[in-house]
Amino acid sequence: MDRTKIPVDLILAKVAAEAEAAQHRLEKARDIFLGPLATDIGATPYEVVYQEERVRLKYYRPAAPRLKTPLLLVHALFNRETLLDLQPDRSVVQNLLKEGLEIYLVDWGLPTRMDQFLTVDDHINGYLDNMVDFIRRRHGIAQVNLMGVCLGGTFAVIYAALHPEKIRNLITTVSPIHFDITKGLLHIWMKEIDVDRLVDAFGNLPGNLVNAAFLLLNPPRLLLDKYLGFLENMDDKAFVENFIRIEKWIFDSPDIPGETVRQLVKDLYQENRLVQGRMEVGGRRVDLGQVTMPLLNIYGRYDHLVPPEACEVLSKQAGSRDTKDICLDTGHIGLYVSSRFQKEIVPQIAAWLLAREG
Amino acid sequence: MAQEFSKKTASEPLLAAWIKWTMDFWDAMAQMGPGLTGEGQAGNPTSSEAGAPGNPWLLSLKLWQAFFSLLTEPGTVAAVFQGIKAPSAIILSMAQAGWGGYFHLHRQWLEAWQETGPSSGGNDFETLDQDIFKICPEIYEQDFRQLMNLPHLGLAGLTREGVNRATEKFTQFQTAMAEFIYLLYLPVKKSLRAMRREQEQGGEKKIPEDFKEYYKSWLRTLEGHYMTLFQSQEYIRTLSHTLIALEEFTTAKQELLAEALEALSLPSRRDLDELCREIYLLKKSAREMAKKLAPAEPSREEG
Repeated sequence: MDRTKIPVDLILAKVAAEAEAAQHRLEKARDIFLGPLATDIGATPYEVVYQEERVRLKYYRPAAPRLKTPLLLVHALFNRETLLDLQPDRSVVQNLLKEGLEIYLVDWGLPTRMDQFLTVDDHINGYLDNMVDFIRRRHGIAQVNLMGVCLGGTFAVIYAALHPEKIRNLITTVSPIHFDITKGLLHIWMKEIDVDRLVDAFGNLPGNLVNAAFLLLNPPRLLLDKYLGFLENMDDKAFVENFIRIEKWIFDSPDIPGETVRQLVKDLYQENRLVQGRMEVGGRRVDLGQVTMPLLNIYGRYDHLVPPEACEVLSKQAGSRDTKDICLDTGHIGLYVSSRFQKEIVPQIAAWLLAREG
Repeated sequence: MAQEFSKKTASEPLLAAWIKWTMDFWDAMAQMGPGLTGEGQAGNPTSSEAGAPGNPWLLSLKLWQAFFSLLTEPGTVAAVFQGIKAPSAIILSMAQAGWGGYFHLHRQWLEAWQETGPSSGGNDFETLDQDIFKICPEIYEQDFRQLMNLPHLGLAGLTREGVNRATEKFTQFQTAMAEFIYLLYLPVKKSLRAMRREQEQGGEKKIPEDFKEYYKSWLRTLEGHYMTLFQSQEYIRTLSHTLIALEEFTTAKQELLAEALEALSLPSRRDLDELCREIYLLKKSAREMAKKLAPAEPSREEG
């Protein structure tokens, strides 16, 4: 058989040189690891102003407020809200504060077995509505600004449709509304999942199972290349700190209340009821036509988890006459982990809100 | 309320669990992988060549395992999450093991490069190693199912049926998991074959002198194969089957535990779940009543 001729000596010499460089890198890395490292996430100072069972409401005060209407941020149940405050120079929270926005951030907490029967209704018409009312009372205002992240944005849309009188402006970021699409691995996989068996067996959906599912979205990058990248950059202190912060966030997925998972998978991923106006929450039909407040809809062009097709339909279905779509050249979490996108989009969000302050 | 800063996250056990999952994954790879330098017989995942001494695939995997096993040391995990003040020896061992794996992978790919065996078709997962999807269930049917006729184990309060059911479900889960993990391995095999074929078709055989470029190119190919796999009916079916097996095993285990608890006059999970449901409904009623009684208009509490 014909065999490819390879100058093995040359290549092995190159490998040896790389090995020597790696040794130097290790020596430098040792100094970094032995020194102090800043790896805290969610480190921006806040005040817990409201708590209901496991759910907490964090309040962040800006140095110089520019808007009188505060912004309530709603994260998805599947990951922690610390994504919005990952590190000082790449923090959505800090960048919004710099723009003079008063911020409230929902921390859904860590569900236990006691929480397995909590439904979508309990989260939206219960916890979320109570927090909105708390903010309205606290500020003496009739409406708040609402911004949602991923499925937290889907929650925000449902809430805005059910309680439009309490929301002044609505912002969604990478929030799926249309689920019957052929792109997006989660959308494909979820259609075949027997969610009844899953919930009946586990009670709550285990966070570890969610982690495994996210890692399986791209094994070459998430199980191999990421760690090789770490080895290659372990002599860079800032890289090491950021790497640990993101790893902390990735592996901090909480369990999710089973009954909520059951309804989300069936109504959204399998039957696509929201966009058809057939979803019911707390005995009331969710009508996207009731989303009449100004709407800013942001999503990522290269988002494989929540593709643009899942998001862009919102502006067309919503009852609002004041809608704006922004499609960024990034993936699912690019907006939250990239300083470049934060510098680009956060001032736009602030300007958009300011223009609608009244 | 008091000013709060970020509290410690609950990541440590999750990270440890994931690392264990990763190690198990690589372990399964080492056990099942047909070997990159050989063409391992289709449908024969336990081919002896995979376990042969000196097999570079196995060696690389062992090194990666060593790297991950160091990560699982409680001290290391704790150190990572406490701002990293681990002894330098741990860090160096971790890094050396990791780099060792990297270089061995490099060497292994070089050897795979020189291999000019027959290449498989492009991205068609339906036509590759189909037999593997039949092998595991067959092993189960032929070997394990017969073992289910166990004598009474004599454990207090446990019925033979309950023990048998849990054991059977466990075995089924293991079988499904093995099938699933092997499916996850296929893109690695296919991507290496595709890389080699691409070079062969180029006529002039390019030499992968710059390993990094070669690695990046391989990674892109691998990603493409995974994307194809993940959208295939074969993958979706296997994923669904594995989840069902996990659910059935979990349920069987819980039922077995419930039997034991019942024999000891202790409340079972089902009893506690019923209690949780009653408390949930009571709290919900109380919240709805409180909401009806609360003032409707907002009033400023504080700035």
